[in-house]
Amino acid sequence: MWAIIKKEFKSYFLSPIGYIYIGIFLLMCSIFFYLDIFAYMSTDFTYMFGSASTVLTFIVPLITMRMFSEERKNGTEQLLLTSPRSVTSIVLGKFIAAALVVLVSVAATLMYYAILCYFGEPQLGKSLVAILGFALLALAYISFGMFASSLTENQIIAAVISVAFFMISWFLPGFSNAFVNFSLMDAFYMSFVNGTISIQNLVLLLSFTVLFIIFTIMVIQRRKSVK
Amino acid sequence: MIEVKNITKKYGNFFAVNDISFEVKDNEIVGFLGPNGAGKSTTMNMIAGYIEPTEGKIFVNGKEISKEPNKVKRQIGYMPENTPLYQELTVREFVNYMADLKRVKRKEKKEKVDKVLEQTGLKEVEKKQIRKLSRGYKQRVSLAGALIGNPEVLILDEPTVGLDPKQITEIRELIKKLGKKHTVILSSHILSEVSQICEKVIIINKGKILAVDTPENLEEQFKEENSIYVTVEDKKNNIKKVCEKIRGFKERKLIKENSDGTKQYILTSSKKVDLRKEVFDLFPKNNINILELKTTEITLEDAFLKLINAKEKEMKEKEEKEKQEKAKKEEELNKLPKKERKQAIKQDKKEIKRKEKEEFDKQWEENKRIKKEEKEKKKNAKASKKETTKNNNKQKVTEKRTPKKEKEENKSKGGKK
Repeated sequence: MWAIIKKEFKSYFLSPIGYIYIGIFLLMCSIFFYLDIFAYMSTDFTYMFGSASTVLTFIVPLITMRMFSEERKNGTEQLLLTSPRSVTSIVLGKFIAAALVVLVSVAATLMYYAILCYFGEPQLGKSLVAILGFALLALAYISFGMFASSLTENQIIAAVISVAFFMISWFLPGFSNAFVNFSLMDAFYMSFVNGTISIQNLVLLLSFTVLFIIFTIMVIQRRKSVK
Repeated sequence: MIEVKNITKKYGNFFAVNDISFEVKDNEIVGFLGPNGAGKSTTMNMIAGYIEPTEGKIFVNGKEISKEPNKVKRQIGYMPENTPLYQELTVREFVNYMADLKRVKRKEKKEKVDKVLEQTGLKEVEKKQIRKLSRGYKQRVSLAGALIGNPEVLILDEPTVGLDPKQITEIRELIKKLGKKHTVILSSHILSEVSQICEKVIIINKGKILAVDTPENLEEQFKEENSIYVTVEDKKNNIKKVCEKIRGFKERKLIKENSDGTKQYILTSSKKVDLRKEVFDLFPKNNINILELKTTEITLEDAFLKLINAKEKEMKEKEEKEKQEKAKKEEELNKLPKKERKQAIKQDKKEIKRKEKEEFDKQWEENKRIKKEEKEKKKNAKASKKETTKNNNKQKVTEKRTPKKEKEENKSKGGKK
């Protein structure tokens, strides 16, 4: 698995995708940092993440869309699947590599915290909880994006599927209260941003992530007998 | 050693590979030969573990690929069709990655990668991005990826497609060299290549094996006629008369008239007669000078085409027969009044169902029997193991006992003394 993680992580930065993702993410964070915190003279670091989570919807598919569809299109999938590695380790390897890219970008937001420290005294605990929630939300998005990527060999279709799904899960609670407990975005908004870790939302995010990792493994495994 | 047992691959109702079985021995180079879409790549993909057969089993060195995939895949080096590669990596990075995937030990990695790069002639471009390489080099990178980790079995899907003649001969030499220490399966639709490299040829068309044999035997098998080229100087135009005198003579064809008055013919006779002797004997007596004489050879190409054509004819005839039978039945049905027709159709359907059921039952029972046998085998193996261990224990016990007994005996002897 280590070999796959290493190669995948490297690949993100051999192509412009990795830089584009981190660039856009930090640019948007800076804008929100200015609009939500600086403009109000606030020291509440968590405001920034509330807005930044909407950006995730559009930029996470940037890194997940190529995960399996590119391999399938180029045929390099054959090299992976005929190597003595299990499908589980291949999927996990790719997931962890993408997660690392996202976590690096999330870790970079700590510099805004440092800036806040210069001007006032932000709450460390509350900020860390927000960062944790944000990271968990990103992982859940990656997991679904990876699943979408394993369905098709066209990267754009994979990206569209994931963005559409994220948007739907974003707006559904507006239509009916029945969906409130299942919305990823709400799970993040309701508790983590306010500095509280609720077990319910933690479980929702984590189980969603695990579920779609398992789905991806199933899709790849099944294609062996269908293809 | 690779054993392929009755594998079938179905896509919906289409059989990509239909009930194929064959064996490849250690250190053998086997060539898959067939037109496009014959099922070559599908079969190779199944052996490499990329796709799973709908039915049937594949054993590599006695291990079944669907049961112990990781152990089997370790022994296989696979070079897929169309050389899929990670374009953004450099040559060395790619081979390194393949080595990691194949669990090459870290200490040996550098040495092994260097060796493979040298073997495939990639040393000079090792720091170039794969994207920027020419087709021939890409092919070699793909081969290097298959070779790393020193697998016992090499599966090469069309290894020489798209190469220039010099590269082709180089790769062929390389494969021949590899064949001394590895088991190689390669596919190709270039026949001369297969007859040059391979010790055994498997001809396959429309998912079925048509022939398995050495290239020489295949050529021999399809020699139905003897034919020779002769160039003669024939001033009196006697050749027509003379040829008729030869036993078993079939055909004479003029190929070309040379400017110096000599003519070249192809003469054919039945397989039993050796034309050369007769020609040597008869022609000079009738004032025909022989300037050149050589036998024609049936190439593997002819054998291949003949095989495929013959099979296709057979299939067509079968289909036509079936069609005719169907048409006949329908006509008969149409003659009957409505009620009876309906009944007849019902009966037909019933019979078909009954047959299907019978077949299914048969298969079911066979499967049961096979499973039972396997279980018994396992039981027996376990029992024999137990027995051997028991015996060993007994032996140990007896061994332990003997010295005591001897001592006792000695004692008793001593006592007697």
